[in-house]
Formats: sequence, C-alpha cells, structure tokens
Amino acid sequence: MSDCRPEAGELVFTRVVEAPRALVFRCMTEPEHLTHFWGPAGVSAPLDQITVDARPGGVFETVMVNDADGGEYRTHVIYDEVVVPERLAWTDPDTGMTTISTFTDLGGDRTEIRIHQAKVPEPFRSPQAQAGFLTSLDRFAAYLGQLSGR
Amino acid sequence: MGVSELDATFTALADPTRRAIVARLAEGDATVNELAAPFDMSLPAISRHLKVLERSGLISRSRHAQFRPCHLEREALDAAAGWIEDNRRTWAERFDKLDEHLREIQRGPVGDQERKAR
Repeated sequence: MSDCRPEAGELVFTRVVEAPRALVFRCMTEPEHLTHFWGPAGVSAPLDQITVDARPGGVFETVMVNDADGGEYRTHVIYDEVVVPERLAWTDPDTGMTTISTFTDLGGDRTEIRIHQAKVPEPFRSPQAQAGFLTSLDRFAAYLGQLSGR
Repeated sequence: MGVSELDATFTALADPTRRAIVARLAEGDATVNELAAPFDMSLPAISRHLKVLERSGLISRSRHAQFRPCHLEREALDAAAGWIEDNRRTWAERFDKLDEHLREIQRGPVGDQERKAR
C-alpha cells in the first residue's frame, strides 16, 4: 500500500467506516449503492442516471440533483485503474484532475477509505487547503508566503 | 464559477511567477513596469504572464489609464480557494451518507445477504 501514502502537496480525505472492505468497494462501484450516498447533503443522485463501467477506460457518470431547486450537476470521469476491492482511480477529462480511492482493511470489519486527489494545482495543495482554511483572500495570500504580516 | 473558469484559474496559479504577481497585486494595483521590477525577466515575458492571468479572470487591466494598471479580481481568487473547501465538504457529506447506508444494509436480512456475498 506504499503507493497510496499521501505525498506532500496533494489533497487527501480519509474516513473509517464500520464495514468489510469488499462491501465498501461495491458501494463505490455499484449504482444501486451509489445512489444512496453519492450526492452530498441536500443533493440526490438518481439511480437511473448513474453509469458505472468499472474497468480501465470505462466511464463513471452521475447526475447530482439539488433537492431544493432541482438544479442538476453532471459528472463524467474515466476510470484509469480498477483493482477489486482495494483501489479505484479515475480522471476528469475536463479538468485533468485524478482521484484515487484506496480501501484498506483495518480488520474487524472496519475499512479506511482514502480519497487522494492528484494534479490539483500546486497553490491549492497545502495542509491549510485540506483543512478548509483557504476560504478568504487574506488566508490565501498568507499561504502564498509573499505577504507576511498582512 | 464553472469548471472551465476554475481550470483557467488553477492553470494561471500553477506558475510561481504568476503567483508572485498575484501576491504583489493583493497589496494594490500596479503597472507592468512595477510588476516586472522584482523579476529578472523581459517586459514581454511579464506581459505574457499578465495575459494568462487576465484570461483566467484573476486580474483586470484598465482600458483608460495611461499605464493600464493591473488589478486583482479578488472574487475570482476567492472562488478558486472556495473550490477546495467545497470539494472537501462534498466528500465529508458523501462519507456521512455512506456510513449511514452501510449501517442500513448491514442490518437485518439485506445485511446478511451482503455479508454472504463478499
């Protein structure tokens, strides 16, 4: 698993869930499961608009629908790598951003999910960015390291 | 802000010279000559960087003033920084729902089937 350790300068989000790894992997690759959680809070991901072709070169498409206003947000990515049940990688052809999901069996039916986003432009990869601190210009400017004391 | 605008912003900020220019403009408007001063770079080279920044929407340049000072468009910079936070929140909320979903399917007969299936 050494290849999925976070390198300095990339966005990484992790979560431990109480479920066996194989089941977590299925949740991430089967529309019947994805529809239950792929949309964030207040957003649905209708089952009939999820396409999963989980193999290198295959597509992963979803439409996320805002429950409040019906607004739709379509995602379209291409799988680079599919290793059951431990690793998924896909690239967004529009942005070039790569997302690598790794699933680590922690034993006792616990699984760590690690979302590793690579090719995020360098100014946005700081630990501060990961912690969500980059919400104002002043903080951003501080990160640039050019404006100390402001 | 759409994906293409964000992409342009990210691309513009991927270069250290352009980041330094953005940092300088955060202190106030500046002309091309003023922006070029700290760099060992020709004016045309600086101008090319400014064009990339301008196309990305991160800076604007006055059409009227004699030296066409450059101005930082803070909203564009904030939007790009906000994207990071939105992205983090999306995954956090997704994980919350996944956690709930996993609890649901591991409970009762459906859960038994899922366990047998692995």
